[in-house]
Amino acid sequence: MSNKIAVKVDDLTVAYNYKPVLWDIDLEIPESVLMAIVGPNGAGKSTLIKSILGILKPIAGSVSIYGKSYEKQRSLVAYVPQKGSVDWDFPTTALDVVMMGTYGSLGWIKRPKQKQKKAALEALEKVGMLPFKGRQISQLSGGQQQRIFLARALVQDASIYFMDEPFQGVDATTEIAIINILKELRKAGKTVIVVHHDLQTVPEYFDWVTFLNVKKIATGPVKDIFNDDNLTKTYGINYKVSIQE
Amino acid sequence: MSSAQIEIQLIASLVAIACAIPGTFLVLRKMAMISDAISHSILPGIVIGFFITQDLNSPLLILLAALTGVITVVLVEYIQKTGLVKEDTAIGLVFPVLFSIGVLMIAKKANDVHLDIDAVLLGELALAPFDRLLISGVDVGPKSLWIIGSILCITVLLLLAFFKELKLSTFDKGLAASLGFSPAIIHYGLMTVSSITTVGAFDAVGAILVVALMIAPAASAYLLTTDLKKMLILSIIFGVLSAISGYWFAHWLDASIAGSITTMLGVLFLIVYLFAPSKGIIAVLYREKQQRIEVSLLTFLLHLKNHDDENERHVNHLNEHINWQKVRSKIVLDLALKNNMIMIDDSIVFLTPKGDKFTTQAIDYIITNEDAQIEGMKDDFFLFRG
Repeated sequence: MSNKIAVKVDDLTVAYNYKPVLWDIDLEIPESVLMAIVGPNGAGKSTLIKSILGILKPIAGSVSIYGKSYEKQRSLVAYVPQKGSVDWDFPTTALDVVMMGTYGSLGWIKRPKQKQKKAALEALEKVGMLPFKGRQISQLSGGQQQRIFLARALVQDASIYFMDEPFQGVDATTEIAIINILKELRKAGKTVIVVHHDLQTVPEYFDWVTFLNVKKIATGPVKDIFNDDNLTKTYGINYKVSIQE
Repeated sequence: MSSAQIEIQLIASLVAIACAIPGTFLVLRKMAMISDAISHSILPGIVIGFFITQDLNSPLLILLAALTGVITVVLVEYIQKTGLVKEDTAIGLVFPVLFSIGVLMIAKKANDVHLDIDAVLLGELALAPFDRLLISGVDVGPKSLWIIGSILCITVLLLLAFFKELKLSTFDKGLAASLGFSPAIIHYGLMTVSSITTVGAFDAVGAILVVALMIAPAASAYLLTTDLKKMLILSIIFGVLSAISGYWFAHWLDASIAGSITTMLGVLFLIVYLFAPSKGIIAVLYREKQQRIEVSLLTFLLHLKNHDDENERHVNHLNEHINWQKVRSKIVLDLALKNNMIMIDDSIVFLTPKGDKFTTQAIDYIITNEDAQIEGMKDDFFLFRG
């Protein structure tokens, strides 16, 4: 990691129908980390990502990406939503979904051309899904669908990647394939932020972690702050997890 | 064919195309009922527009009525957002109220014009050729043809310009928002187009048929293709087919054209629903039957693999051991034999090397759920086609 701050969140408060789901969050994410956001269900993990990306409007606070507002820095950011957030029966192919990642750089009205198609095919290759490029997306397994989503983010060629539970419902092989790609991204100087559920794999996969439960509990290097104390503060009384060194 | 007949079919076909385009996106966005709401609640807009313009074909009237359609959508969303009722309830609350306001306004004020409830619900396509558009005294065709033609042109232009944005925001709203394609703009854009199309088609085909023309062709096309562009094209073809066949059906029956077109749409959907190659009912039932047989086959092979005891593998005792009826055991036994997966030697069943390999692979797949293992098997067996 470098000393640059990739994402900065100041006093962010988000509410659904006047019930706060995120309360006064301050967060600085350094450049070139692979960060897990952990916390119990309803802790506001997805909400945090969606607020940073401008999908949800906060009632207070601000977000900056490399010192500027998200609207100005869109091209630096890629987003992988939860797999369950889309209708996989939608009439389209794997390649077409990956092509959607290029739409941001195209802007309104302009159509994707050969260049975008080539980028999409390369991204499919990277996630090992090239043989499935023409397949209708409902005919893919859960792991394959997740890979398609990852390829769609890769094709954006961003600096910061936000991923909402990329390991949900995938098999072990896919999980390893995905984490290897994420680690490569970090090595290439990218910042990767992942909503994560499996506490056991945090030390193995990530080098940075944020504990969240409506409020921010802690954020920092996994080796410094991933401990029973913070886990208990986040998840409730006496939460113990055996950390494999 | 007389020129009036041709004109009616042309109007019906253009209406069908103009409806099929937004309809496809409404179906994919699971908003089919919204078109029902719009088609009814634009009535007060039409009546108010008529009071102002005194002309049922005025563009101002169309815009006013379309605005009522968009207001309907906003009201439905507002009620839904309070979290007190669900979306379908909100729809059911909003449009009957607006519609009945329109009905009351017609009854009180517009009794002497041709705005009557029957025409509103079912349209008067047969009368469309009599209302001509005259430009400096020259007859250039029926007014409805020009109205729906203009609306269709705008719809097609918008579709070509914003196809990418429509597709993205329909499939993945979150990504659309994060990439800077405001889903709200696209949503209300689509709602506006749907409303304008509904108003334009309303006079010709009525409130009920507008809904059918938006939803039925798209729903039929959805069952036939896995490609959005093809789905749009198929919806358009289905719409036009129903419009023309419906016209001749009405001609033959001497009945309402709108009613006949709607009937054709229903028949068409029914045919597709039954016979669509992969999503149709018959295909699904056939596939399920195949899958049942194949699961049985696998159960049977696994039984052979797990039991060395001759007693367990004797042809005559198989049904007791796997707890099946004789007929089923026979089918499965034949299937296994046909595929060279078993040998029968002196009434004792053995797995062949091929059968053994197949069983191992299949079990592997079921346990690990990894697709790579069975890519080669997928073509032979339905079971693994997901």
